Amino acid sequence: MPIGPFGIDPVIWAVLRLVIAVGLAVFLVLNGALAQIFLERKIQAVMQDRVGPYHTGPFGLLQTFADAIKLLSKEDIRAKLTDAPFFLAAPAIVFSPMLASFVVLPFGRDFVGANLNVGLLYLTTLGSMTVLGIVIAGWASNNKYSLMGGLRSAGQLISYEVPQILALVTVVLYVGSLSLVDITNSQPGLLVNALILPMAFVTYLIAALAETNRNPFDLPEAESELVAGFLTEYSGMRWGVFFLAEYGEVTVVSAIMATLWFGGWHGPGVDALPVLGVLWFTLKTYVFVLLFMWIRATLPRLRIDQLMGFCWKVLIPLALVNIMASAVIILAFADPRLPLAIVNWLLVGALVVGLPFTQRRRLLRFRSRTRESVALRDVRLSP
Amino acid sequence: MFDFLEPLFFALFALGIIGAGACVVVLRRITAQALLMALTFASMAGMFLLLGAETIALFQVLIYVGAITILILFGVMFTKQDDRPYGLFFQEQTPWAAALTLVIALPVAFLALSFKDPTTASAKGGDLIPLAASLFRDYTFPFEVASVLLLAALVGAIVLVKRDEQ
Amino acid sequence: MTVPLGAFIAVSAALFFIGAAGVLVRRNAVVILMCVELMLNASNLALVAFSRRAGELGAGNPLDQRGSVFVVFVFVVAAAEVAVGLAIILAAYRNRPTVNVDEIHDLKG
Repeated sequence: MPIGPFGIDPVIWAVLRLVIAVGLAVFLVLNGALAQIFLERKIQAVMQDRVGPYHTGPFGLLQTFADAIKLLSKEDIRAKLTDAPFFLAAPAIVFSPMLASFVVLPFGRDFVGANLNVGLLYLTTLGSMTVLGIVIAGWASNNKYSLMGGLRSAGQLISYEVPQILALVTVVLYVGSLSLVDITNSQPGLLVNALILPMAFVTYLIAALAETNRNPFDLPEAESELVAGFLTEYSGMRWGVFFLAEYGEVTVVSAIMATLWFGGWHGPGVDALPVLGVLWFTLKTYVFVLLFMWIRATLPRLRIDQLMGFCWKVLIPLALVNIMASAVIILAFADPRLPLAIVNWLLVGALVVGLPFTQRRRLLRFRSRTRESVALRDVRLSP
Repeated sequence: MFDFLEPLFFALFALGIIGAGACVVVLRRITAQALLMALTFASMAGMFLLLGAETIALFQVLIYVGAITILILFGVMFTKQDDRPYGLFFQEQTPWAAALTLVIALPVAFLALSFKDPTTASAKGGDLIPLAASLFRDYTFPFEVASVLLLAALVGAIVLVKRDEQ
Repeated sequence: MTVPLGAFIAVSAALFFIGAAGVLVRRNAVVILMCVELMLNASNLALVAFSRRAGELGAGNPLDQRGSVFVVFVFVVAAAEVAVGLAIILAAYRNRPTVNVDEIHDLKG
């Protein structure tokens, strides 16, 4: 039982430490979300050849604070027939697992909240709890569009959990441990896992885009479809909580990608100064956050059936082939890195080349079928 | 120093389990029942953590709260749930059900509470490596059969709800 | 002060009987399915409690987790059962739009 600073009683120090840690985590997550909202607006603006917010504060830096104040001061509109306890609980159910995910992420050499030996399983479990919150939000709004949006979103989320977990399993097979600290320590130097397991990385990237409801998979919350889906009846700070939960989830997922495939807190100068690890970790995480924003500004949205078809017919078979091949290679070879890299890069090549090829064939077939049905219709209409 | 914590958490989780379980049986609003069932599952995961089985606890949350609750909520939303009282809530079966349950429950409860802790030392440490070793070495065949079972359930469920397209 | 093994078994038994009472008394098919899940959970708790607290194969053999392995299989079976059970309920609902098991007691039409 460590004695606290200034000789505080150990009992009080233990409780105080917990309170400070939780407060710090909430503070960091919220500020990270604020920073990301600002970055997103500026980056999208730059990519769309406009300026973005520039009025409030220098370079529009205070824009997000202004937005937060506006959201907080909005009237709490609630439709009469909504299921009150569930309507109020849904944002909390979506927000809490995201907040709880930060405890296992290794920010630096000894900077981890809890070195769970099942850390990756813990993160996966928390990712699957947000689905419950979204279904409840859709149901409790007593609005058919919200319900449909909520169910569609739930279907998308649970479908894309499978390739996400399969991609993580590939890394775990290679590293041999579920603990995030062990995974980080298995990639010293430049030989990061992304060079060895790129197919798992690509699978996880696509699945993470779908898990966090980001473009091109943001059908459930798009403004042009379903009137913002399950978020329709939420206004003011309740909507703000959903929004924060989404950005927090993006941060968590980017942090997982940085840890598993790009070395986590490793970087030049970490041996001398361990605090530098936090800087490298944050930088790598934000590279992926910016990648998400870049993808959002570039790609169009997928329809729900295209999205599901892509998951079940393309991602899952490729991920399964990846796992089988990785398992066989790891058992067969003493140093499995080179064969694993070959197989993975081949699969990435197959995905990148095969996808346009098969889609083109489908498009041509669809066009020929439409042409014949139009021709039939013209034949029938002519007297 | 913090000895009271383990019984405290046990009491909390037991209260969650039994309270939420009772509410699932007694309440009438089906969405409330489904969510209280999720609370039962989460408290059960807490119990597993108290026993030191962290992998099983995380599997519990992942499978039960994350998937089975969603399945049941989907089932609720696709069917129309009648709210009308439809006669007595506890109809004529209740005395028989209560009698049967009590007749079996009382001896079982007596037996359960009379368990002495075994004198052999219990398993220490985590749960992940022993579980993985047992599951993938000693019980590989049941594991594969379970995956075939899941495949059969998947195909069967799809076949059952498929509409006949003309 | 650790919690005695009997307490876990008592909680498991209580939950099992609550679930059993629910299956016997309720009329809504989905609620019956939920109560069956409660019963399965109760048995899981008993299995894990015995596996972690009273393992066989000699004193405290850490590799004996047969109870926990069985719990993994119970998870699998429960998930499969809920999926198929809900499929059956939805298919029956299409025939006669009710989930009340008192009304779905004829095999014909």
